[in-house]
Amino acid sequence: MNNVAVSNPPLSPWADDAMVQAEVARVASEQLAPNAYRIDHEGYYPTDIMADLGQAGAFATHLDQHGSRFGLALSSMQEISRHCGSTGFMTWCHDVCGLYMEQSGNPALLERLQGHAAGQTFGGTALSNPMKALTGIEKMALKAKKVPGGYRVSGTLPWVSHIGPGQYCGAIAAVDRDDGSRSHEVMFLLDIDDRVPLRPCPEFSGMEGTSTWSVPLDDYFVSEDQIIADPARPFIQKIRGAFILLQVGIAAGVIQGSIDSIRAVENQLGHVNQYLHNRPDELQAEFDEVAKRAARLAETPYDGSKDYLLDVLELRAHGSELSLKASQSALLHQGARGYLMNSAPQRRIREAHFVAIVTPAIKHLRWEMDKLMREEVPA
Amino acid sequence: MSTRKPDLEERPWRQYICLACGLIYDEAEGDPDSGLPPGTRFEDIPDDWECPLCGVTKSDFELLEKQEITAAAPVGITTFSKVPGIVVVGAGIAGWSVVEAIRHLDAETPITLISACHGDRYHKPELSVALSRGQQPGDLVRESAAEAANRLGVRLLANTFVVGISPERREVRTTRGTVAYTRLVLAQGAKPALPDELPPSLCWRINDLADWSGLQQQLAAGPRRVAIVGAGMVGCELAEDLARAGHTVTLLDRQSHPLCGLIPPEAGQALQESLAEQGIHYRPDSQVKAVRADGDSKTVLLANGETLAVGQVIAATGLKTDNRLARQAGLAFNGGIEVDQELRSSDPWIHALGDCISLNGEPCRFIEPIQHQARTIAAAVLGVEAPAYEHRRPVVRLKTRSLPLVLHGLPKPDGRWAITQREGNSMVMEQRVGDTIVATLSLGQPMQSKAA
Repeated sequence: MNNVAVSNPPLSPWADDAMVQAEVARVASEQLAPNAYRIDHEGYYPTDIMADLGQAGAFATHLDQHGSRFGLALSSMQEISRHCGSTGFMTWCHDVCGLYMEQSGNPALLERLQGHAAGQTFGGTALSNPMKALTGIEKMALKAKKVPGGYRVSGTLPWVSHIGPGQYCGAIAAVDRDDGSRSHEVMFLLDIDDRVPLRPCPEFSGMEGTSTWSVPLDDYFVSEDQIIADPARPFIQKIRGAFILLQVGIAAGVIQGSIDSIRAVENQLGHVNQYLHNRPDELQAEFDEVAKRAARLAETPYDGSKDYLLDVLELRAHGSELSLKASQSALLHQGARGYLMNSAPQRRIREAHFVAIVTPAIKHLRWEMDKLMREEVPA
Repeated sequence: MSTRKPDLEERPWRQYICLACGLIYDEAEGDPDSGLPPGTRFEDIPDDWECPLCGVTKSDFELLEKQEITAAAPVGITTFSKVPGIVVVGAGIAGWSVVEAIRHLDAETPITLISACHGDRYHKPELSVALSRGQQPGDLVRESAAEAANRLGVRLLANTFVVGISPERREVRTTRGTVAYTRLVLAQGAKPALPDELPPSLCWRINDLADWSGLQQQLAAGPRRVAIVGAGMVGCELAEDLARAGHTVTLLDRQSHPLCGLIPPEAGQALQESLAEQGIHYRPDSQVKAVRADGDSKTVLLANGETLAVGQVIAATGLKTDNRLARQAGLAFNGGIEVDQELRSSDPWIHALGDCISLNGEPCRFIEPIQHQARTIAAAVLGVEAPAYEHRRPVVRLKTRSLPLVLHGLPKPDGRWAITQREGNSMVMEQRVGDTIVATLSLGQPMQSKAA
């Protein structure tokens, strides 16, 4: 159904916000909820379910060609994460990969965007290291050399999610001059073909079904058809707010799911749960505030101002903190049943910690806000 | 600083505070710059002695009764309190004044002070006269943040930025975590307003001790050429301070005379001449187009095509209040956080004072009203009866020693100025709108007037 180029939002199969919301919610509750433990713990990579989510419009609505509806994209991601944080995270990976492809303006990538947006092909993002490298937290892992018709890239990306043979991800490599000084960075779509061996990562405490691999590149040729941005910095500057804002959808789902779990046992355990702090109404009130701010920021995802970026960083940090608080409270409210290995509150504890440590982690966000708040002075 | 111990039969040294600018005259230290050796009793000071900071005379000083304010028990960082207490944002004069005013009334209420910098206590007006006194950053610190926090029983979060406020849940979010409050006091100050043509990486702004310390360090190596952009009060004071410290100063402004808008051309001319006598070159009608780094020096490009090669550039182009927090918290904002007569913002649990507020739509960034504001807030947050804060426009005193300038009232753009007295270099002028005197200005006069 999506082989025809969609240029006019009303013609999109996902033009109706309410229908997208209902369909995504249906797939999430019918297919993700029963499989959440398998995905999180047994490493089941749910591309089949993601294909259905794609068909429902879960991966498209934030794109310009589908009306730049970031609010709707966030609500899809929240609904998915409410049932399965791993798939919520992969939804974010997939969403930002689509955003790179579209914002690149590269015709070769735009051609591939249709299938990506519909969940017919899958791709993630390998920007954890470069995002940290560009703000000075760590060194750039990939190095590129200019060659006729493109670049040759070498280096190893430690952990890249939502990739597999035949899939792809956005990546950034540093381009150095002959004297070793940094010239610029190039951003490209890394196609995982037989030139790219995927190495398994050590076992994580959760989120095992996110198809996360170590990616060693040895003289990998990047053609012009794969270029997302060259130089990369202005591009990153432009999409940075949107990139981080979308992550709030994962936090929102984990928080909402935690509140659901608390309310689910209120009838049986309310008489003792009343002594706990972080009761559902308090959590809901704080969550409503986070959601309200997210909705406002979703209206202008490409606002390049410092104040906007601060607002987004602050919201993202708040979302992480509230996920931690809400998931812990959910386990306490459920008691022993929440402590069962395959229970949702137990899983959400791990998901919430993932939200809090995935780039940008709480500490990175605070570090970055501190940097932005400081007045620059002459050296 | 040299001090003298009082003789056995003498009473202890006393301290006197300038009501206009807050400078403290300590009998033990004297004022050697004005010929008062350490150990000069206040009553022995000649009547024509002037405040070394703002130029008012002895009659505007009063005895500083040291308020030995201490908390019931130090409220350390680890102390758990069921009551979140009062959270003060900003550790400048305004923030610390509120803390002291609260402690004066109540020794136990938990107070948390959040500061974007280290939070050491210093007297901000001194920043525009300290270079010529050869002072180091440490000399300006009156009490370290840790000492003050300990003495006042304050939990201090230093080097911490407030990045969000949730008025409904009464929480502030910071770069070091979330802090709950029962009352919030914003004393966040104002930030230098830097036009695009003055890049922050090349132009100093002197708005806090850290800024000043950076500049001081750069100028410590020896005399430099310095361009100061903006001939308002701060620009004029800094120009004189730098010139006295041996630097070659060019003072640039878009207007025809310094302090334009505040004083009439005749007074501006006199001020310009007195600046020139100190070697300060005032360049009128100068619009800066760009500033560029040029190796170790900087090039200032003017709109008329001329260029200036200097060692340092200082921007004295005014202040503005950052509105992000207020906007995010939904507080009414109009050039500053809008407050009522109790210094309360549009949220009943949030107060504000100092440089970050606006009163009747106008900010008022002077030192003198801060103590009054702090007392009003302290009473309001503790639920103690106190007179409402009555805002009066403070007297403006330019701390230029060559030609002291005092302005009462607020000049209006459509007012008419007239000279009422003239004697040598001194003159008194007044501005009328219709038959009403709206402002009076005295130049080069000994300042006998009572501080407002």
